[in-house]
Amino acid sequence: METAGKVITCRAAIAWASNAPLSIEEVQVDPPKAGEVRIKVLSSGICGTDNHTQDGTLPVPLPAILGHEGAGIVESIGEGVSSVKPGDKVILTILPQCRECDSCLHAKGNFCLKEDILSPVGLMLDGTTRFTCRGRKVHNNFGASTFTEYTVMHEISVVKIDDAAPLEKVCIIACGFPTGYGAAVNVAQVTPGSTCVVFGLGGVGSAVVLGCRAAGAARIIGIDINEGKFARAKALGVTDCLNPRNFKKPIQEVVVEMTGFGADFTFEAIGTIETTVAALESCNLSYGVCVVIGLSPAKSQLSFDPMKLLSGRILKGCSLGEYKTRDQIPLLVEDYMKKKIDVDPLITHRLPFVKINEGFELLRSGKCIRCVLLF
Amino acid sequence: MLFMPMSPVFKGTSISTNVVIKCTAAVLWGLKQPLSIEEVEVAPPKAYEVRIKILATGICRTDDHVISGAMTTKFPVIVGHEASGIVESIGEGVTTVKPGDKVIPLFLPQCGKCSSCIHPNGNLCVKADLTGKGVLSDGTTRFTCKGQPVYHFLKTSSFTEYTVVEEISVAKIDAAAPLEKVCLIGCGFSTGYGAAVKTAKVTPGSTCAVFGLGGVGLSVIMGCKSAGASRIIGIDLNKNKFDKAKSVGATECINPKDYTKPINEVLSEMTDNSVGYTFEVVGRLETMVDALASCHLSYGTSVVVGAPPSSKMLTYDPMLLFTGRTWKGCCFGGWKGRDDIPKLVSDFMAKKFDLDQLITHVLPFNKINEGFDLLRKGESIRTVLLM
Repeated sequence: METAGKVITCRAAIAWASNAPLSIEEVQVDPPKAGEVRIKVLSSGICGTDNHTQDGTLPVPLPAILGHEGAGIVESIGEGVSSVKPGDKVILTILPQCRECDSCLHAKGNFCLKEDILSPVGLMLDGTTRFTCRGRKVHNNFGASTFTEYTVMHEISVVKIDDAAPLEKVCIIACGFPTGYGAAVNVAQVTPGSTCVVFGLGGVGSAVVLGCRAAGAARIIGIDINEGKFARAKALGVTDCLNPRNFKKPIQEVVVEMTGFGADFTFEAIGTIETTVAALESCNLSYGVCVVIGLSPAKSQLSFDPMKLLSGRILKGCSLGEYKTRDQIPLLVEDYMKKKIDVDPLITHRLPFVKINEGFELLRSGKCIRCVLLF
Repeated sequence: MLFMPMSPVFKGTSISTNVVIKCTAAVLWGLKQPLSIEEVEVAPPKAYEVRIKILATGICRTDDHVISGAMTTKFPVIVGHEASGIVESIGEGVTTVKPGDKVIPLFLPQCGKCSSCIHPNGNLCVKADLTGKGVLSDGTTRFTCKGQPVYHFLKTSSFTEYTVVEEISVAKIDAAAPLEKVCLIGCGFSTGYGAAVKTAKVTPGSTCAVFGLGGVGLSVIMGCKSAGASRIIGIDLNKNKFDKAKSVGATECINPKDYTKPINEVLSEMTDNSVGYTFEVVGRLETMVDALASCHLSYGTSVVVGAPPSSKMLTYDPMLLFTGRTWKGCCFGGWKGRDDIPKLVSDFMAKKFDLDQLITHVLPFNKINEGFDLLRKGESIRTVLLM
């Protein structure tokens, strides 16, 4: 492409300060250095985590270009890049897969140690950024940055996918879908005939429901304080919907009574302390599995009764559904293309990129499952 | 002491005796009191119950929790739950054991019908008495002392020459098993060993860290070794426990007090960040979080084995789990009593593990309070009382 090796000027949504609308501005995007890839972003979902970073509950270095659930086409590659080439369709993810660290080398681990999530720096691994706006350096976000027409990422975070994949759909296979679906099929390993409970019926919660259904769960109880989400949840496979505010008892007691002895598998896809404890206490005391997906506010501490664990429960956390990104996300895309999985019901809204703030509003109001921005 | 001699076995018929047995038991009359050696009356077994002549019983920390008040019970009570003995008589309807059989009583029964028993991974049978009700399923006790009813403990009660338990709380074991050793399979050994092989499912070649080197911690180490772990790090504030830990399989031992860094950083550095499994075998809230933080952030599993102080909450940073860790707990090592305890006894007979290292003291039953002193002073691993 003629832009290779040159700085690209394009539009991006900048978070200048926390808890303020994103600002569509002109940015300069440097060419990729060694091991890096510059991508023309064609679609990006807005994830709950983007909301947390934007409103400051999950602080990241600012100013920054947020967004981490994207799909696009490789525009140019830096020296030494071998897994993708210009023109390739790619998915852009929050979790790299360097294939060298001990998480990557382990059969099950997926939390690559080259992540920039736990203590985010917002820079490339060499400590510099590729984005400039109004003469100021702008941080990237979690090694991705997809709220921009062009982004630069490390090769290890760029996932090559099928040339025929519809980019306006598969962007959610970059985060929301695998995070929820994987929580059910990889992490919990839901069994046929089981009873599952999903706390939170947003994008990730909905993907959990799809995973439980795919795994053959007989009963899927969906819990949300927003009853506007119930109709869609039932269409996806939820068998019973509960609004905790309709009960005087704590919701975990309601669940245990409904199921007789607690659920086989419970999932927390919201990110609050209270619902995490409720999810733990809703699964059977001896053999129940509780998977916590939702990210709690930064520096929060969670307290629970340790006897809940000692009786035999399993409490697991996970990131991106335990999928090793570069190895396994392409397989999910293939499954989608072969119609073995269907992510379409999760995409309830589409907006042009410039309406990104409207997209955030839809997310916050609970009116959408996933809103995808198109470039 | 008045007792009925061993009855002959009649296949297919239950032998009911209406004879009350008078025997010796250690009765706990109230909180924080020494156990009192008394004459008690032990009623015959009712339907689906078994009366057992206890021959050996270990002293477990959980028994001491009852004395100290950390664990609730009604008084007076006969504690003890880690034992082995011989069936003396059976109540109507009992089919799985007969008089003369060697048995281990189970503080976690296995009714076979409840959701825990049916599930492949569950073992917390609904029939367990973990809240200190102190009676058998019909709501009554089988013990009296000085005219008063005496409560059961965990539906076992082994600090007595004769006890009555429910059939679902009895594991029939190998007729050749040495009862003075295998009593530990009734609790301490199985709890630790199971935490490693059944709950954590330690994999060959992995690195394990065990926090707490008492009897159960040593059993965890034995389990890790059995599962093929290549490195087993024992952790304790008391370095006197290190030699024994190494003799049962720890590859190295460390004392957190010797370091200024947090223990999870020490372990990460020592192992080049490869700790796959950690075990908390102390029962301390802060150690539970340390153990969680010490296992690998992405693929690590941490198992809580030590019983925590009641009604205190465990506080942790949720990011510890977000990266992929698994946190588990288990009761009795995850074993289903009637299915698995006989197999563990057979494994012992096949010399797959050695219990001798755990038995540091053997005392006659009437010196039971001495046994508790040894436990409280940290001088014993396991004291076995012989009846």
